[in-house]
Amino acid sequence: LYNFVLTIPVYFSDDKDQNICGIGRQWLESILVSTECNGNGFHREMVTTVKFSPDVPNVLNVLLVHKLPRGIYVDPYQLATLNDSDSHLQILLDSPINLEAPAHRTGGFSALLYATLVGQRSKLLKKSIPIHCRYHEPSFGDQKAVIVNIGSPDLLLRSETCNDGSNFKSYSIVDAPCTATNSSICSWVQIRLNKEQSHVSLQIPVGDGSLVIHVICGTLLVTFICCSALSLKIWKHRVLT
Amino acid sequence: MQFTFLSHKHFLFPASFIIRLALVIYGDYQDRTMEVKYTDIDYHVFTDAARFITQGESPYNRSTYRYTPVLAWILTPNIYLNFTFGKILFILCDVLTGLLIYQYLCLRGISSEVACRVCSLWLLNPLPMGVSSRGNAESILTALVLCTLLCLEGRRLTWAAALYGLSVHMKIYPVTYALPIALALRTQVTPGVGREAVHPQRRGWGSSLWGFLRSFLNGELLLFAVVAAIVFFGLGALFYHMYGWDFLHETYLYHLTRRDIRHNFSPYFYMLYLTADSEWSQWLGLAAFVPQLALLLLVSWVHHRDLALCCFLHTAIFVSFNKVCTSQYFLWYLCLLPLVIPNLSLSTWQGVALLALWFTGQGAWLGPAYFLEFKGHNTFLAIWLAGLLFLVINCFILVQIVVHYRPVAQAAQGRKDK
Repeated sequence: LYNFVLTIPVYFSDDKDQNICGIGRQWLESILVSTECNGNGFHREMVTTVKFSPDVPNVLNVLLVHKLPRGIYVDPYQLATLNDSDSHLQILLDSPINLEAPAHRTGGFSALLYATLVGQRSKLLKKSIPIHCRYHEPSFGDQKAVIVNIGSPDLLLRSETCNDGSNFKSYSIVDAPCTATNSSICSWVQIRLNKEQSHVSLQIPVGDGSLVIHVICGTLLVTFICCSALSLKIWKHRVLT
Repeated sequence: MQFTFLSHKHFLFPASFIIRLALVIYGDYQDRTMEVKYTDIDYHVFTDAARFITQGESPYNRSTYRYTPVLAWILTPNIYLNFTFGKILFILCDVLTGLLIYQYLCLRGISSEVACRVCSLWLLNPLPMGVSSRGNAESILTALVLCTLLCLEGRRLTWAAALYGLSVHMKIYPVTYALPIALALRTQVTPGVGREAVHPQRRGWGSSLWGFLRSFLNGELLLFAVVAAIVFFGLGALFYHMYGWDFLHETYLYHLTRRDIRHNFSPYFYMLYLTADSEWSQWLGLAAFVPQLALLLLVSWVHHRDLALCCFLHTAIFVSFNKVCTSQYFLWYLCLLPLVIPNLSLSTWQGVALLALWFTGQGAWLGPAYFLEFKGHNTFLAIWLAGLLFLVINCFILVQIVVHYRPVAQAAQGRKDK
């Protein structure tokens, strides 16, 4: 269900005035993608904004490939709820997600976010994905938090009317699912981006491993005292019938 | 007199159902209109699992569905009829729990008026109201456990055993009641009286031990054990046949081996998080199990003649000393507290003070936990200390209950004297 094939043959061309399927090369190279994370703590929103110049072609399919590190996860069941609501978030995940594993016991994954630009009015695409942070291993130094970096997504475009790959010789061609239903594979054009920021950094609190002895002793001492006190009272006030 | 309406069962039970129904209706409104949802995530898990069943698949295809298939099966009307069917079922079981508490207290000789007032501690309690109207299934289990105790009190052993087997199938924790039930049903050995009088002569350890073990061989206990085992293993075999290893793992093994390192009320949370990958992990898990086991054995032996008190103490100790503790677990013993309250010699103000202390303990934990989870502050140390404080508070409250508990005969005498 989740497998898809990425093929990236790369060709280069010096023709700067090339017009591809009615889409100007300059227009393609003016696209700006930025990512930011809103919120604090273990539950945040990752907002990706794609700015297009005016004169968007009639119908253009957009695919944002987010490569997310193992310290972050998305809840597919939460996403399914969002799909049913007004937000129409179309996301495909490339592997099953373990919702409870700590970061060092799982791996990163890719989230494919689908959108469609229709008409000449659409200059801005803004999509928000709810993300959650995993627990990380305790630190044994002075750090009270770990830093998790999320890079900018890859931007892939596909036109319904123009599927001839020979038009895109100067671009990388990528095979990926056509839609979030993952029922067929299409060829997408990967756009080289002027990335405004290279990555977003999240700080996730971690436990203090240097206190492990104190925590073990303190916990066992308190539980032993509570157990003993309760046992003594239970025995002392036992009912003799 | 104030609050006399609480003493009328014809008002109390319908009112408690109507309040819960209103909460379900409001919850549906909040889910549709607000960003923060009223319905608990667990309810969506149950419904997704029920949907898989309607499609002829295993409910365990739903990730994080860690319950018996019985629950997903009885919630299939969520798919066929209406999404809120399950919530209606849960609030009905919640009110049924209150009714069973009332019946139990009446069977113990408590007047209807006093029994109603005690029941209102459950029926008008916002905690179980909120839990069942949000879609948690705890009320099914509280109703089953109370029905088991009621049947035992009324000496309907076959029904008690069947309900007990079903309770243990649905959630593991009632298995701890097996020892006090066995001790209560065995032949009671009393010098000079009873079915098997013990000769008042000096006996060696061997014959005492043999006498103790032989006391377990009586018809009532064997009947209970056989019926409970048939129900438990019968259901287990049926669902293993249908769903295989997934059923055993998700319903039982996951809970027995669960090591959730994420923050929760347990006093062991931080210790287990810091040592999760070390070689001490297994030994510390065992060390954490010892106080729990020791207290359960002691309570079983000391209080098995009063099963209501025994089961309440069992569950409160089990939850307080467990390696994982979430707020849903509190309902497991809160439903048994009304059975114990008429026998407590605490004043109303003392009871209110203990309740306030309990909530203070929770609040002291919830504060730093909120700042960790939603604000990203490193409050692990504060959460750990709050977890230890909560354990101390729980133990203090249990000590007060044990110290101020008057057995049934003495309590009845006390009420006669008043």
